[in-house]
Amino acid sequence: MAQKGDLLLQMKGVQKRFGGAIALRGTDLSIRAGEIHALLGENGAGKSTMLKILAGVHVNDGGTISIGDKPFTTGSPQASIEQGIAVIYQEPSLFLDLTLAENVFIGRQPMKGVAIDWAQAQSEAARLFAELGVPLDPKRQARGLSIADQQVVEIAKALSMNANIILMDEPTAALSASEVERLMTVMKSLKAANKAVIFVSHRLDEVFAISDYITVMRDGATVSENPVGGTDLQKVIKEMVGRELTELFPKTENKIGDVALEIKDLTNPAYFRNISFTVRHGEIVALAGLVGSGRSEVARAIFGIDKYTTGSVKVNGKDLAKGSPVAAMAEKIALVPEDRRQQGLFMIASVNRNISMESFDRIKGKIFLNFKKERALTEIWREKLSIKYEAQSNPVESLSGGNQQKTVLAKWLATDPDILIVDEPTRGIDVGTKAEVHKLINAAAGEGKAVLMISSELPEVLGMADRIIIMREGHKVAELSRLEATQEKVIAAATTGSKGA
Amino acid sequence: MNFLSRFKPSSREGSLGLILIVTIAITGIINPRFLTGDGTRDLFTSTAVVALLAIGMAPIIIMRHIDLSVASTVGLTAWFIADLCAKHPEFTWVQCFIIGPIIGMVVGVINGLLVAGLRLPSLVVTLGTLYIVRGAVYVISNSVDYNAQEMPPSLLDLGQKVYFGIMPFTFLLVIFAMLITAWFMKYRKAGRDCYAIGSNPHAADLVGIKVFRRTFLAFVFSGAMSGLAGVFYLMRFAQVDSTAFYGQELAVVAAAVIGGVTIAGGSGTTVGATIGALLVQTIQGGLAAIGVDAFWKSAINGLLLIVAIYADRTLARKSENALLAQRIKERA
Repeated sequence: MAQKGDLLLQMKGVQKRFGGAIALRGTDLSIRAGEIHALLGENGAGKSTMLKILAGVHVNDGGTISIGDKPFTTGSPQASIEQGIAVIYQEPSLFLDLTLAENVFIGRQPMKGVAIDWAQAQSEAARLFAELGVPLDPKRQARGLSIADQQVVEIAKALSMNANIILMDEPTAALSASEVERLMTVMKSLKAANKAVIFVSHRLDEVFAISDYITVMRDGATVSENPVGGTDLQKVIKEMVGRELTELFPKTENKIGDVALEIKDLTNPAYFRNISFTVRHGEIVALAGLVGSGRSEVARAIFGIDKYTTGSVKVNGKDLAKGSPVAAMAEKIALVPEDRRQQGLFMIASVNRNISMESFDRIKGKIFLNFKKERALTEIWREKLSIKYEAQSNPVESLSGGNQQKTVLAKWLATDPDILIVDEPTRGIDVGTKAEVHKLINAAAGEGKAVLMISSELPEVLGMADRIIIMREGHKVAELSRLEATQEKVIAAATTGSKGA
Repeated sequence: MNFLSRFKPSSREGSLGLILIVTIAITGIINPRFLTGDGTRDLFTSTAVVALLAIGMAPIIIMRHIDLSVASTVGLTAWFIADLCAKHPEFTWVQCFIIGPIIGMVVGVINGLLVAGLRLPSLVVTLGTLYIVRGAVYVISNSVDYNAQEMPPSLLDLGQKVYFGIMPFTFLLVIFAMLITAWFMKYRKAGRDCYAIGSNPHAADLVGIKVFRRTFLAFVFSGAMSGLAGVFYLMRFAQVDSTAFYGQELAVVAAAVIGGVTIAGGSGTTVGATIGALLVQTIQGGLAAIGVDAFWKSAINGLLLIVAIYADRTLARKSENALLAQRIKERA
């Protein structure tokens, strides 16, 4: 058993590149027993890459990692587990059909002779749950367990493996306030047992409430490592952001017209409550907030994919029927979803079929579809968006991520929408293509379309939007104009719910 | 109400058993012959082959796979054994019981290598082997049929053997197979791995479960059971041609699913699969006993399957709703 303060993990100058992209350019991290260590940084700063290296999913290209006084052996999740590292991913990976006891001990079930000793497994699991202060029933199925309780099971699993270092990737992202409270209690008990907890979080209020050390990362490198008393909210936010907004966001001044989309008191009690805002023609409104704050759910409800219980959606002053994407499309609303592979594209279908998918009216002959028109339509959008592909008939899955994203955009722009909703339009695409996508969205607004943009990337939100609506835990906590908005204000509202920073 | 709820079965198999008993009772009231020793024995005899196959298939479905080649394998094994016995009159039931599972395992190894090794979808792979194996039977058999006189008398005698007036030898073996696999699936790590793989294949990789080995062995086991089922087929019908057991693979899947083995993987037991097979057979037999036209057989089977899936979905929705309600409460 490690003593409090013993150095458990040390990373020095760790590097990692994926093809041409540098994910980590020299990261340092020291973790001691009995310490809660927060890892902060914007999206793409390299936090996840670092956790994945420790989890054994990726192998670092350079730098040294040591566990205690031994060098760290990378290579497989199994190897990391054996070195006492347990990872709790943002989405817990439990076996929902199995009992909690079984989830804790899967692959390591206690045996009695030739048979698994279920009584032992259950009492041991019950003991671990009690130790964590969450008395779950070990005989219960994991299905139907809240995300918070699933995390507790994952933590119990980590304890049962005798892990000394417990990594948590945004453990609080999907939790409600009371659940966060409970998770913090669990983290404190881990600390008391002289384990080291490393956690990634974007909720800075929590970070300051619980951690002993704060490491800030930016652009693949460690910016600072301080005990929690040696830094403050302002400083951390500055370190996270750290750079000037570049010319990435070619904001053009568009003529702003009448209200196109009016949302009033929209509520779906499981995800969001009393959301009201408007989007005008020619205006770009950003919906900002943390993952899990209910932004995408609002968009889905507007477009009619999900139902909402109360409230109303008005398009150009007319009520929009709820729960009907067909009605939404008839009112010329387009939704470019967050997950293009699962929801935005038919990956094995050709480029032209994907682009024309929602525009059959435009390519219809008298009776049959006119494929010549389909090819012409695709050609128009290839030029407008400079999509790169070898042939129109190639499957979309053969395109690069950026070109796939442009294809989804083309598909919806081809419907000539009045209202364009884009959910994380630049996730997972490179900087150059990002700028192009931003230009497209600006151009759409310039044509008088109303644009609602959901984004987790602050520079994007600040650079593109005329107005910013910030959500936190299903509530609208702030609405800032382009002039009022600063990175600090948006982060403060999204993480603590407070307006000033 | 309190009194009644004490008798409410806690497990799925309990409920199924209860449904089975009720079905048998209703049929028995309408047609008392159904409840006699003969009636019960007939039920067991006619269920043995499908029940054995359902036991072999259960672990595969639990792993989110499927094995459609089982009926063809039964045909292949049955014909092959009959052929060997015709050429080797000295063969007794012992050789049959050894050769059958071995032939079945060969098919299982092929399925297992393709599904687990190349990670091809089992639906397509076993659909392929379904046709290939059946085609092989057509070619090898060359339209030769075998009847009781070519088969070992000891094997046919065993097929006729009945214990306690109601329990045929074949179904006794089914019960053994059921109990052993049920124990294995519950009390051995390999068995639990099957549930884990079917429940969340991605997570199974992350926690270091040997996915290849488990999947491969499950198909080999299903093959072996199909081979044994081929022997049972001979014992029951005492004759075989190249179309033996043609098209019955889906009856096996249906029996397992009706018995609570979820087609989406992750849950179910071999006990359930066996009860499912019995339930299908009881309803068939019961309908015949009360004079329903045999033409309705397929339609009734289909209806039963849909009812089973519906029950499954209803249970799942119930827990989803409970989760949502909890979420709303926590967010309030």
